[in-house]
Amino acid sequence: MNLALFAHTWRANRARLLIVFVALGLWGAVLPIVYDSFGSTFKDIFASGSLPPQFAQFGGGDIFSLSGSVAIGFIHPIAVGLNLIFAVGFATAAIAGERQRGTLEIMLSRPISRRVVYATLAISGALFIGIAVLGSIIGSLIGASLTGRTAELGVGQLPLLWLNGALLYWAIGAIALLASASFDRLSQAIGVTLAFVAVSYFLDVLGSLWPDARGLQPYSVFYYLDPKTILAGFPDAGDLVVLGAVTGLAILAALVVFPRRDLAAPS
Amino acid sequence: MTAIATSGLSKTYGRATPVHPPGRPHATVVRALTDLTIDVGEGEIFGFLGPNGAGKSTAIRLLLGFLHPTAGRASVLGLDVVRDSVAIRSQVGYLPGGIAFWDGLTGERLLDDLAALSGRPATRRAELLDRLELSPTTLRRNVRDYSRGMRQKLGVIQALQHDPQLAILDEPTEGLDPLMQYAFYAILQDLQRAGRTIFFSSHVLSEVERVCDRVAIIRQGRLVALEDIPTLLARRKRNVEMRLEGEPPPLAGVPGVSDVRIEDGRLRCRLEGDVAPFLAAIAGLTIHDLTIEPARLEEAFLEFYTGDLIDDEAPQAIAAGAPPAGGTPPVADA
Repeated sequence: MNLALFAHTWRANRARLLIVFVALGLWGAVLPIVYDSFGSTFKDIFASGSLPPQFAQFGGGDIFSLSGSVAIGFIHPIAVGLNLIFAVGFATAAIAGERQRGTLEIMLSRPISRRVVYATLAISGALFIGIAVLGSIIGSLIGASLTGRTAELGVGQLPLLWLNGALLYWAIGAIALLASASFDRLSQAIGVTLAFVAVSYFLDVLGSLWPDARGLQPYSVFYYLDPKTILAGFPDAGDLVVLGAVTGLAILAALVVFPRRDLAAPS
Repeated sequence: MTAIATSGLSKTYGRATPVHPPGRPHATVVRALTDLTIDVGEGEIFGFLGPNGAGKSTAIRLLLGFLHPTAGRASVLGLDVVRDSVAIRSQVGYLPGGIAFWDGLTGERLLDDLAALSGRPATRRAELLDRLELSPTTLRRNVRDYSRGMRQKLGVIQALQHDPQLAILDEPTEGLDPLMQYAFYAILQDLQRAGRTIFFSSHVLSEVERVCDRVAIIRQGRLVALEDIPTLLARRKRNVEMRLEGEPPPLAGVPGVSDVRIEDGRLRCRLEGDVAPFLAAIAGLTIHDLTIEPARLEEAFLEFYTGDLIDDEAPQAIAAGAPPAGGTPPVADA
């Protein structure tokens, strides 16, 4: 890791990180409040049978418990979109974006190996993602406190919930950084990564809404994000292992690909 | 000691495919650089010339480890460009052609960040800022507000501020006004006096004549000339123009004389090398006016740029039936 490059990267992203952190915090706080205000109403609606029960279990969450609503908050497109600002936006721009802009060669003309450049960007991205996910956790905690339901939340499980959420976006970020290290143009890196994320998200949501498609869910990285089970005190170590393995494999592939690539003049 | 040494350095892009779909050609292989062999001495100002797409940037990127050679070897300051790329870059300052910056930073922040990335103190920054007339007020502005010339000055400063042993500069005077170009030439000469080596590519031939000790001219990926400037100047052709009385003499077979023509009642030709045979051929003629002037250096270069290659088997892109020449396999820049 190169501290000068890390400091440069931190300065370039800190304002954006603050905005994402606050936005995720607000989003995280809203759902316990919504649950507190309308949870029983929702429960009555679903109990009446007017809506399919799957609708109440979107992405592995539910709206009948605090942990379920926090889980929905994690898998909701708003939260996913905010987290992808760093997992996809930062990671794809970190190498392919710099290369397309012509600034990568200024960076690489310094005495820093490509592996160190990659490692520094990967660590920076991991930190940004970790802080962003922390925003959701802190938001949920604040929301639970405001509604007087802190005890119901399972505060002791929050570090594990953070790890699960961070690992999901680290896995996506590692894939994005691999694409970034492999392609010359930002649009290519973003396209490949977003295609992966979209298919993955679709498979998970489809499986959660349609029982016949449940077999597709294990092929999605989002399937391994399981806040409700973690908050209930029954975390599945397998989820963390799978996400960790995806992250590790993507990092290994990038460490092989990036140093061996030819970096011709940007066109 | 040699600052830069290359031997048979070659770079081929693309890969020939022995099997391909019917009706589709083999993959195109581009030979960006073929068999480049040059030596640049320490303390030398070395010009690297060639038309667009000749392979200059490819050669520079090979020296800096951005590209891996397909064949041949190269060393910079005694270090191998493939194995010791990071160590090389700790002693090199690089100005890319058409430089790009992080535009959201101020000039000062940018120079600070780049100095920190270099891992060496910016000992020459103050002097360079002064000589290139970049004021502290300008440095406090965001780079996105800089003019083209100011960005180029910033590029020169970031390449030289840490006093590198070797400066590799790609089109360094692009965008600089004439006054700043002079300031830049003076900086180069001071660096040379301090024992630094300068390797720079340029399209501005007059500046090459002004500051370089030697030049390499590259075309279609091949070295077509490697000369010191005085030799190049001595070899250049002279333009001859004379106004005669009577029939023009038969100059076509005279050694060193070429391109004989009569225009506007004047005989014009070009003269190369020893002038004695030419003077002998026109002896006894009634000459009203005679002008012999050295061709501009540009013309000498343009001959290299436009003449036929002796070995013309180096097209830039070939429909490949054979795989690219074997050579140095890709080695990780770890």
